[in-house]
Parts: sequence; structure tokens; C-alpha cells
Amino acid sequence: MNSLSQAIKAELNVDDVFNIPVFGGIAIPESLVVTWGVMAVLVILALWLTHDMKVDHISKRQAFAEFLVTKLETLIGNVVGEKGKRYVPYLLTVLLYLALSNIVGIFGFKSPTKDLGVTASLALMSIVLVEAAGIRARSVKGWLKSFTKPVAIVTPINILEVFTRPLSLCMRLFGNVLGSFVIMELIKMVVPYVLPAVLSLYFDLFDGILQAYVFVFLTGLYIQDAIE
Amino acid sequence: MIALGAGLAVLGALGAGIGIGIATGKATEAVARQPEAQGKISSTLILGCALAEATAIYGFVIALLIILMLG
Repeated sequence: MNSLSQAIKAELNVDDVFNIPVFGGIAIPESLVVTWGVMAVLVILALWLTHDMKVDHISKRQAFAEFLVTKLETLIGNVVGEKGKRYVPYLLTVLLYLALSNIVGIFGFKSPTKDLGVTASLALMSIVLVEAAGIRARSVKGWLKSFTKPVAIVTPINILEVFTRPLSLCMRLFGNVLGSFVIMELIKMVVPYVLPAVLSLYFDLFDGILQAYVFVFLTGLYIQDAIE
Repeated sequence: MIALGAGLAVLGALGAGIGIGIATGKATEAVARQPEAQGKISSTLILGCALAEATAIYGFVIALLIILMLG
């Protein structure tokens, strides 16, 4: 019990890898370094998939890239609706980043999403985008008025929702990633061979991708709700 | 006492279990009625389960916080 609590504490603690010696030292946490790695992989993949594209006689690589983009765009586009098409690229970026950073734990890195700061900032970005989309679609007056819909008495609940939505987004992602990690550690203690590999398929791969999708799906749903 | 509190916090998993059970039961009924809509039903079911699971996850996070902060 005690060694487990120590192990969990060590995992929860985000270590600083190094300091940037300006302005009295800026600490660079491990999750940020892994995020840079994830970004590098995604950027290189995107550059490789999209270089020298043609209109006809397309290569297999370009066909694959087009297939991927169309599939993902319809997946998220259905959620945000016709009017929310402009927000699809942002949502897809978050989806790719979250999916890769949830999976990266398999390769022995520390998932950035296991750091509460990362999920909290992503949830903040989501809620700012949702409210900005609402203001853009309805103007400030219409946006303020939308708090009193459908009846005036629910106004406090609607205002509260601005704070509970990012909180639940952030905690859902963080809790899921941390939860699957803790369960995997417990299983590794009891059965160290074979079984962890099978279960890691579910807990790391399936659950990681599913939670990334749920995060983006909910953000899209909120946006659609704000602009309709 | 602290372990007891953590255990109580995980009781929230009860609701998630019931919710996922009901959702799965209804999805099975729907597939039995309309087997051709199976793809759509199962993707909706997985999404709903992921959302219902969130309550259990909140319970788990709170239990973990109780153990780590107080223990």
C-alpha cells in the first residue's frame, strides 16, 4: 500500500527537466518536453504526407493523406454542423495531439496528459473558443441574452456552466489517463508477464484514442450549441 | 479512516455501472430491432459509455486525492 502510494506520488509529480536561464530561470517540465516530441512527430508526418501534391496521377501517399483528412473532417464536421466548419481544423489538431500524447505512454514516455496543467490549459482553450464562437455568431448582445435561454430562471445555472464545462473536460481526460495508468501498474504488480501486454491494448490504445475523441466531441458539441 | 473515505468516494462507480448497463441493454434491443443500423448504434453506445464512465472517474480522482493529500 505504501510503496504504491509512493509510486503514484512520484508519477503525479511533474519533474522539471531543465531551466532556461532568462528572467531568473523558467522551469521546463517533463510534459512540455514530451509535448515538443509529439509536435515534432506530427509536423514531420504532416510535411511528409503533403509534400509535392498533384492534381492527377496522385501517389499512394497523397491518396492516404486525402483519405485521412476527409474521414476526420466528416467525423468532426457532423458534430459542429454546417455553420461551425471553420472550427474543424482546430478541433482536428487537438484530436491528433491528444491521441498521440495518450498513446505515447506505450513507448515509455510520460504522457503529457497525465499532467493536470496540460489538460487544464486545453480545457481553458476549449471554453474560450466556445464563448468566442458564441459571441462571433450572435454578437455580444445576443451572446449575453443566450444565458437567459430557455427560461430566465436558469440563468445562474447557465453562468455556472461556463466554469463546470472546462472543469469536467479537464478532469475527465486527466482522470482517465491517470486511472488507466494506475490500473496498469496494479496489474503489473500481480501478473508481471503477458497479461499487461493484452490489457495495455485496451487501457492505453483504445481508451487513449477514445478519450481524445470524447474531449474533441464535447468541445464540438458545445461550439455547435453556442452558434446555433 | 482515510482508506474508508477513499472507499466511499469510489461508490460513485455504482452509478456509472448502472448507467452503462442500461445503455448496453437498450443498444442490444435496438440492434435486435434494426440489425442494419448496428454500426451507428455501437459508435453511439461507445461514446455514451465513455461519458457515463466520467462519474466513476471523478470518484477515482477524489479517492486518489484523499489518499495522497491526507495519507
